Amino acid sequence: MTLATEQGKTALLDRIGIVWSLGAYVVSLAFLNDGILAAALGDGRAVFLGGDRADAISAVPVHDGACLSMAIDPDGHAVLTGGDDGRLVRTPDASGQITEILSVPGRWVEPTAVSPASGLCAAATGKAVHLFARDGARIATFDHPNTVGGLAFDPKGQRLAAAHYGGVSLWSAKSGTQEPRRLAWPGSHLALTWSLDGKYIVTAMQENELHGWRVRDGSDIRLSGYPAKVKSMSWLPKGRYLATGGAESVVCWPFHGKDGSLDKAPLDLGWGFEGVVTVVAAHPRHELVAAGYEDGAIIFVQIGRLHPALIKGPGDGPVTALAWSADGHDLALGMESGLVGHLRMSDWRVPQA
Amino acid sequence: MNQIPVTVLTGYLGAGKTTLLNRILTAQHGKKYAVVVNEFGEIGIDNDLVVDADEEVFQMNNGCICCSVRGDLIRILGGLIKRRGAFDGVLIETTGLANPAPVAQTFFVDDDVRRRTRLDSIVTVVDARHVAERLEDSHEAVEQIAFADVILLNKTDLVSSEDLTPVERRIRAINPTAAIYRTQRCSIDLAAVMDRRAFDLDRILGIEPNFLSGNGHEHHHAVKSLSLSTDRPLDGSRLVGWLQRLLGERGQDLLRTKGILSLSGQERRFVVQAVHMVMEGSFAKPWEPDEKRNSRLVFIGRNFDEAELRQRFESCAA
Repeated sequence: MTLATEQGKTALLDRIGIVWSLGAYVVSLAFLNDGILAAALGDGRAVFLGGDRADAISAVPVHDGACLSMAIDPDGHAVLTGGDDGRLVRTPDASGQITEILSVPGRWVEPTAVSPASGLCAAATGKAVHLFARDGARIATFDHPNTVGGLAFDPKGQRLAAAHYGGVSLWSAKSGTQEPRRLAWPGSHLALTWSLDGKYIVTAMQENELHGWRVRDGSDIRLSGYPAKVKSMSWLPKGRYLATGGAESVVCWPFHGKDGSLDKAPLDLGWGFEGVVTVVAAHPRHELVAAGYEDGAIIFVQIGRLHPALIKGPGDGPVTALAWSADGHDLALGMESGLVGHLRMSDWRVPQA
Repeated sequence: MNQIPVTVLTGYLGAGKTTLLNRILTAQHGKKYAVVVNEFGEIGIDNDLVVDADEEVFQMNNGCICCSVRGDLIRILGGLIKRRGAFDGVLIETTGLANPAPVAQTFFVDDDVRRRTRLDSIVTVVDARHVAERLEDSHEAVEQIAFADVILLNKTDLVSSEDLTPVERRIRAINPTAAIYRTQRCSIDLAAVMDRRAFDLDRILGIEPNFLSGNGHEHHHAVKSLSLSTDRPLDGSRLVGWLQRLLGERGQDLLRTKGILSLSGQERRFVVQAVHMVMEGSFAKPWEPDEKRNSRLVFIGRNFDEAELRQRFESCAA
């Protein structure tokens, strides 16, 4: 990592960031509607940062063990966390009064998904996926042949996709008996994302590749060539590109043609860094991607620009979480070491190349 | 980065795995373990973290049919890493009917698991009374012995010492490199079981293949072992090329391979180990000036032609 010294620039975090040291693995980060930053930690706490005072902090022990996943509640003022204590809990930022939605002792609640459009929530414990209404009442439980590694709702929140060994199961997000539609592809499918227009589903696999399907006809799209396992995927505005980790650069697959990424080469952004990108987070409004590396460095890349900007230099262990606020004015970063940073970027502009 | 040590406990149904697990957990070692089991059994030590697993074995899409891994372990170990510093090691108890290969391969095939954890050893508990029958009727019982780094020949109080000798010879014929301990109710000094670094290439130096030939009633598909040895220095590229080809083509039948090799022009030992076709090799410590340089290579597997392997090995001489 030589970019900072070459360009004679200080990392953005050191210039305009606020930093907390939370002392545990940062599993997930998200901005709530009131601007508060929520963090789920490996020691079982949910932490709320900022608000009335920029450096305010309140921590709530929510799991007996580790938080494994987090999603924002559809109301935007609470987080839903899954833990290795077999519980899914809802924690509002204002009161910190937790409500238990699900408890399956001896199981882990790992992938968790929420649809802001329909207000539904889903969480997986092993091979079972549980679907909940906005009020936390269980609507349905869907069984799968293998453990579910990833979950996502379609943009309307009416369908639910679950990734597992051998492919993806598509369910109607409602009660009643049903047979899922299966999208098959050999291998173990882990993280899953549904494109913003609902046309494509992409999974990250145990092997160093992604697999995509066009939902309409189930046709396959292979997205391969990674040197490492892909653990993070993020759609750019309007779903024009899918940004991914798993390589030394930020790999962005074009999805704006009529056949998605079929037979197209991806863009490689942010060359010149060592190590592998662990986390990516696309800006909600501009064609910008924040990318975190296993050595702790974080950069910004922009479609159509050559040079990345440095957000954070290496150190503090691998980057484990990145999140933008809905308006794109705030960026949060989290590290394996427990460091969390918040950058208010509303009056900062991308440097001209 | 600190790698978390992982010990795998295997053994056929009723051999005494859970007894050993409880011994490890209750011993006064001041350590805290995460324990991966398949059903909550009679363990439940407050201080330790118990994880219930489904043994989800699947094949990697890498064109290698014997390369199966435990998907649940990849996920569990990834989750445990998030509890940084909350435990000192991981114990994995497999079901009695499990083949240990997918567990072992998981530690070499998945990059994250490989970076964050270290397979310390595979410990197999064997019921001294019934092992002879099990070796006749159970594929898994044979594989569990073949993969072991440590074998507890348990329940020896229920067998006469004259009967133990042929049993031990039978085990030796399958696995010439494992440490074998005779135990009652799995009573053993934990130093013999834990922190053995059996998969560290540096520690493979300790292999002393036992040349006991106990293939008294070998039958078709039997697991056997072959120990090769030579004092002539070997040609490094020829040897590695041969091993890669051999494991690529025959890895399904070759369960474990271990070697300490003297290569021509090299001051350091070359050590290799493989689980089926997943091989790794590197240079280890130098030969002492007055030390006799000797190459040793051990195969544990089935359906191989001993004469052919011996001839190929010898033709790697520089």
